[in-house]
Amino acid sequence: MLSFLIARQTGVDEPVRLRRAESTRRVLSLELNHDRDVECIHGNGINTIDIEVIEGRYMLSGGSDGVIVIYDLENNSKKPHYTCKAVCTVGRSSRYVHKFSVETVQWYPHDTGMFVSSSFDKTMKVWDTETLKPAEVFQFEGNVYCHHMSPIARKHGLIAVGTKDPKVQLCDLKSGSRIHILQGHRGEVLSVKWSPRYEHILATASTDSRVRVWDVRRASGSLFTLDQHNGDKSKASSESVNTAHDGRVNGLCFTDDGLYLLTAGTDDRMRLWNSATGENTLVNYGKVVNESRKGVKFTVSRGCSPEFVFVPCGSSVAMYGLHTGELVTMLRGHYNNVDCCEFHPDYQELYSGGKDCNILAWVPVLRHPDTEDEGADSRQLFSTFFTLWTALD
Amino acid sequence: MNRKRTLMPDAFRTKKRRFGADNLIGNPEHGDVQEGPPDVKATLQYLMTLFPRKLFNDSLPQIVLKHQLYSLHSDKTLVDKQVNELRDQGELLMFQLGFDSDTFALVFSVDYRAKVLAGEAGRATLGTVEKFLDKVLPCCSDLSFSKDKMLKQFLFTDAEITQLVKSGVLTVRDAGSWWLSIPNSGRFTKYFIQGRKAVLGMVKKSKYNEILKTDLEERRTTSHVKLHMKYHVHDIIGAELVECIQTTSGTLLRFVDT
Repeated sequence: MLSFLIARQTGVDEPVRLRRAESTRRVLSLELNHDRDVECIHGNGINTIDIEVIEGRYMLSGGSDGVIVIYDLENNSKKPHYTCKAVCTVGRSSRYVHKFSVETVQWYPHDTGMFVSSSFDKTMKVWDTETLKPAEVFQFEGNVYCHHMSPIARKHGLIAVGTKDPKVQLCDLKSGSRIHILQGHRGEVLSVKWSPRYEHILATASTDSRVRVWDVRRASGSLFTLDQHNGDKSKASSESVNTAHDGRVNGLCFTDDGLYLLTAGTDDRMRLWNSATGENTLVNYGKVVNESRKGVKFTVSRGCSPEFVFVPCGSSVAMYGLHTGELVTMLRGHYNNVDCCEFHPDYQELYSGGKDCNILAWVPVLRHPDTEDEGADSRQLFSTFFTLWTALD
Repeated sequence: MNRKRTLMPDAFRTKKRRFGADNLIGNPEHGDVQEGPPDVKATLQYLMTLFPRKLFNDSLPQIVLKHQLYSLHSDKTLVDKQVNELRDQGELLMFQLGFDSDTFALVFSVDYRAKVLAGEAGRATLGTVEKFLDKVLPCCSDLSFSKDKMLKQFLFTDAEITQLVKSGVLTVRDAGSWWLSIPNSGRFTKYFIQGRKAVLGMVKKSKYNEILKTDLEERRTTSHVKLHMKYHVHDIIGAELVECIQTTSGTLLRFVDT
């Protein structure tokens, strides 16, 4: 690590290299920390977590009891032991609380004054954070499995909603209209995600084993469907031609640069796709246990040099290398199934929530000072620097 | 040694990795995970030796399943890449055995040709089969063929296709398309599924649903297990039907409940 610091100091390397190297080292050393806790408010399982993008300070969580909680992740007490307190909650006593389980919550991408939650009570509510009252309620005919707002959109304020209906609905925040629908799927839509690179590209995953990528400006159907065999019709049995998975596709995640899309399905497989061409990169992650009847919310690390995927697998979170497909480690700590996980890019921390009503914080282990370095005199220091200089070539 | 440090790649390691008793850099013969870039061809040849030729009266070429390679190499993506390279070079053939859409069988092309022609010797279908092996296999590495392709691209007639199906080189997939297959492989598939079930049953019946790999390999096999025990062990590890846990007494196989 010293070589990275010296290279940055002398200008041999760009500053971002040191940052990436240190981020990767931190992500590789994630573990449960005694000093970090998240207050336990939910009485039932936690289905979804979202950390706001602007400051990375507030975290939203939605539970199976319909309760929505906002936590403050910042440690203002001077002590190392810190419990992330709940700032406010939309509890069972609130008049506007969801009647059934909240499936997805998301902060408004541009500020924390607003957030959107969707639930199995067939509604999607747009909440005002200040008053905790819904500013807008969208009613649907079937259970709402997921929704997503584009994190980079400037020209539109569309929320893509996946429900029991095979049609993907786009609700406009600016006008309140919901006439725009995307037709093409033949089963329930379990997951929707906007691309973080292009504000008009949307990916949707459905129980008909297909993943479709849409450009919402186009009047006709989807741009393309992801095919796990890359067009090689001979490999599949005739039913699984042109499908992304051999079972229901219930998880979608774009990488931070938007160049790759990860999908997870109930055939216990996870696949990495090139999001521009729809080509299966054929990275083999092995068996990624997936028995979820609804969507699986997984996440990709940001700012590291080999990126990592964090997938909830049973009662632990599995960490895979993104492009190599090797299992780096299993993060064990939950007592029951893990349903969702979210990566905090600024501190390289992972928050995961599950059926055991806990949100666990996985924090990188702090580097301990090496006992050998203490008491080094100047000559020793010089020789260390010298060997590092030669190592830089 | 702090176990956490072994998870970090080389750039972040401050000390050299110490080789302890549980870090066996063994040959494939020891059945341990290899270090360095995987040599898939050597591993395939080792696995082929586990295939019992006598059992099928030498009528079948040696068959290895693709996921058995995963039990000997840790990087699945590299293994897949190398297998595809060998297939493109024409040295390896891949087949869909039919009982699972994800399971693929691998056979060396040389073995396959030899066994198929030996099986066809003296039969009327020999000519067509030879034509198929010479024309189709070298250029096309597909797993299945549609009627269109057979008639137009390779200029086979309907009668010839029927002969190929009769000889066992093609198996019906659905109306108008066929899988490439190994003649007389039905018995292999049957023994394989039976044996897999029996071996998994052995693991399940053990105390705590787990058993040391060396113990399992030494167990007396029932009459249901006709293939080599090691063959089945590589299969269940590669297909992730059991979890592999490294312990101080060796590798422990724990049954995965799905």
